[in-house]
Amino acid sequence: MSQPEIDIRIGADGKVHVRVEGSQGEQCMALADLIRDIVGVEESREKTAEYFGPGAVVYRHAEARLRHHP
Amino acid sequence: MSAVCVLTPVVIASWPAIATAVAGVAASMGFSMASANYTLKRDDTADARTSVETEIAQSEVTDQVASNQPIRIQRGGVTIEFARDSRGRCTVCTSGEGHSKAELRRIGEEVAGRLVQQFAYHKLMTELKQRNYDIIETQVSQDDTIHVRVRAHGSPA
Repeated sequence: MSQPEIDIRIGADGKVHVRVEGSQGEQCMALADLIRDIVGVEESREKTAEYFGPGAVVYRHAEARLRHHP
Repeated sequence: MSAVCVLTPVVIASWPAIATAVAGVAASMGFSMASANYTLKRDDTADARTSVETEIAQSEVTDQVASNQPIRIQRGGVTIEFARDSRGRCTVCTSGEGHSKAELRRIGEEVAGRLVQQFAYHKLMTELKQRNYDIIETQVSQDDTIHVRVRAHGSPA
């Protein structure tokens, strides 16, 4: 099994974007926690399909608004 | 991928660690370090030089050395002074002759962002190497984003 990798992008404004690849579940969260603990404050976190294992599908919220026509 | 997160760095550091980040800022933005005995001419500051102060919000300088030894870098007619304010926060004072306040504020904010970037980069590299993680790639893109790719060995240590 391949080892997990962490893709880190540190923007010129200081914001840090982290993507954990190749791991699932608790291990994935632990790697994200590690980077957070080194860097600072977490603004957002999103679990993607791979987190939940093979075959998983992540549905994102979609807001639908009805238009009322006179 | 399995998780994506966005983080805001917290700069809690000793003055030498800030100095290391400032050196990185100077190198990456074309500034040169001002000599140790350089002092702003206060009369000039009041008359001709405009100055703007930018505070690094999530910062704390853990020693008081900075109060006596601010670090200055220069580029063209612009001087940037890094110091510690009375609350312990890191401040960036940008001054220059013939520049508007808006222009100096933009430069100061850019430099402040780059200081946070350099600090986060050095801290990540140091801590990940201490944990024996492999840094497999480091690149700087055209928009000055630092891209680091790390290989983890199983569970985090």
